[in-house]
Amino acid sequence: MVSHNILKKYFEQLETGLKNKLESKVTARRKFVYEIARIGSRIFENDWSIAWTTVFVPYEILNSMSVSGMFVEFFGAMLAGTGMSSKYLNLSESKGFSTDSCSYHRTIIGAAMDGLLPEPDVLIGASIPCNGGVKALKRIGEIFDKDVFILNIPIEVTPDAIDYLTDQYKEMIKYVENETGRKLDYDKLKKTIKYNNQARGYLIEANNLCKNVPCPANSNDLKNFIIYVLLQGTEESVEVAKLFRDEFKFRVENGLTGLSEEKFRLMWIQNRIQFKTDILDILEEKFGANIVIDELNHIWWEPMDESQPLKSLANRMITHPIVGPVERRLEVITQLAQEYKIDGAVNPAHWGCRQTAGARVLFKDALQKIGIPLIHLDVDCVDQRNYAPGQIMTRLEAFLEMLSNY
Amino acid sequence: MRRLHDVWKRYVPTKFIHILDIPMGNLSLGSKYLENEFLKLKNALEKYTSTPIKEEDIKNAIDIYNISRLLYNQLNSLRMEDPPLITAGRLMEITSDFFKIEPDVWNEKTRKLIKEIKSETTKAEQKKNPRILLSGSPLHEIEFIKFIEGIGLNLVYEDLCTGSKFFDLNIKESNNLIFSLSEAYLTRTPCARMMQIEERAKQIINNSKKFKADGVIHHSLKFCDTYLYDVPALKKILGEHEIPVLFIESDGGLGDVNQLRTRVEAFSEMIKN
Repeated sequence: MVSHNILKKYFEQLETGLKNKLESKVTARRKFVYEIARIGSRIFENDWSIAWTTVFVPYEILNSMSVSGMFVEFFGAMLAGTGMSSKYLNLSESKGFSTDSCSYHRTIIGAAMDGLLPEPDVLIGASIPCNGGVKALKRIGEIFDKDVFILNIPIEVTPDAIDYLTDQYKEMIKYVENETGRKLDYDKLKKTIKYNNQARGYLIEANNLCKNVPCPANSNDLKNFIIYVLLQGTEESVEVAKLFRDEFKFRVENGLTGLSEEKFRLMWIQNRIQFKTDILDILEEKFGANIVIDELNHIWWEPMDESQPLKSLANRMITHPIVGPVERRLEVITQLAQEYKIDGAVNPAHWGCRQTAGARVLFKDALQKIGIPLIHLDVDCVDQRNYAPGQIMTRLEAFLEMLSNY
Repeated sequence: MRRLHDVWKRYVPTKFIHILDIPMGNLSLGSKYLENEFLKLKNALEKYTSTPIKEEDIKNAIDIYNISRLLYNQLNSLRMEDPPLITAGRLMEITSDFFKIEPDVWNEKTRKLIKEIKSETTKAEQKKNPRILLSGSPLHEIEFIKFIEGIGLNLVYEDLCTGSKFFDLNIKESNNLIFSLSEAYLTRTPCARMMQIEERAKQIINNSKKFKADGVIHHSLKFCDTYLYDVPALKKILGEHEIPVLFIESDGGLGDVNQLRTRVEAFSEMIKN
């Protein structure tokens, strides 16, 4: 067993290190990671309660209640990035968790078993994107003898469905109030919507700037930007979004590009590979291949109504492209491919992910219709134990060679 | 399942496809939502068949299905005897028929069958073997059930959505039958997808006692997250109640039959000792 003090130290050191770097030079990426590190640190502060969640829960509500949310997939990714996932995968597997399930989830279950996670005050799981995430949260809850509040995300966009999810958010607030003793500050919640709308505007601008050929960003600038959800509805989220917009705008206006010579523009589907690997560096340096858009970085929702925060949040969730029949997602993938003028798409097809594996053939079909090739890497994005970099690189090289003849 | 719906729609020409969103979590909000989902399904079926579904049609269907449930339970209770008066393989064939023929025809056939079995002079189809409750993912392969019985285990209860659990539904009489149906489906013995492992484990323990099971085989289909994630927790709970558990994973068929045989035989030996 380890102590969660290790985690506390990790976030503190990350925060301090980035703070020092920010004092010498502010970059959007640096500021972004710094703010995430601050969220990591604050789970150990008395002013905040802790929520372990799945990825798609309304952090605006939690932030308004001084509850620091952490989603399990982020944590699995972070442990992979620090080289600790193998230890926790071994541990959870030794207790009977199947190697066919998602390694993001198995990693955090192992970490919870080992005592790395601080005790949550609340656990909140949403039915989207997957049942596996809710199940993982249930198992983590059992370790702390706590149950999980489940949000059922309706799969059709109808007024009734939005009301249903809004009512569930109200129930969730009651649950968090009961468990933490922290009351929702409704004015604060309204303010989160205002921040969200401001940040949304900047992010759309930043993304649009990446449509330039060549792209002002490189493959790493907006890597794993999905974790931005942790900041949603905060003043800091607006600062981060504005920094990205300003940085990309400056680069475009000054003829600066993400890569010195951009030969291939790629779209990445779903999540990146989380453990340390140099494949993206090789792709950039050797082949001039740049990831100009990540599917999950797309801003899909309309501006939100400050006077109806819960309904607006419900509407944003239900209209997410990953909710409901795959057509919605295919439409977005196709739209992104065209708008960002990509040459090819990469789907890691993360082992254990029913969303990417289940729809893989449909991704390929949809992109083929508009003449864009797609490669499925069939890689486990968190479990490094069976990773064969040579094999993956060979396939990517062949893919890029094919693109050059396309 | 949602992705299956997507792929099916794209590659398998099928005249009627409808996705039913079954909620988990909060019951009071969920039953209202499921009522709406059932109404949408009803409307879709009416449109597809060009036939209106009246309240009395639903009432009649519930009545017929209630008889089926009663008959199934009568048939199932024959397995409380030791040795059981009907094999799991035979029972599963009968259950499987239910999904293929008209329910009232099935009811008639099953009624006759119960009479026949009860009047048979040589009652036992099986020997006195260790008694097993089978739980886990839906199973459609009767061969799989027969294989386990062939090893010398008597399967006395199937806690499966394709077995006893399917017939375990209690619909309240009311003037809003669609709502009664939604409540019934959400409050029935939960499968792993409904995220209520304590309730699920409780039912397994109760049925193990009721059917005098010596052990539980928990089967999960490959890649079936909802069941796979339950395995460690379920094993722990059943272990606390001193119920031996064997976990097996398969694709529903008998592809890895020898490995499976070794494991089931070892489990059988362990129970006998």
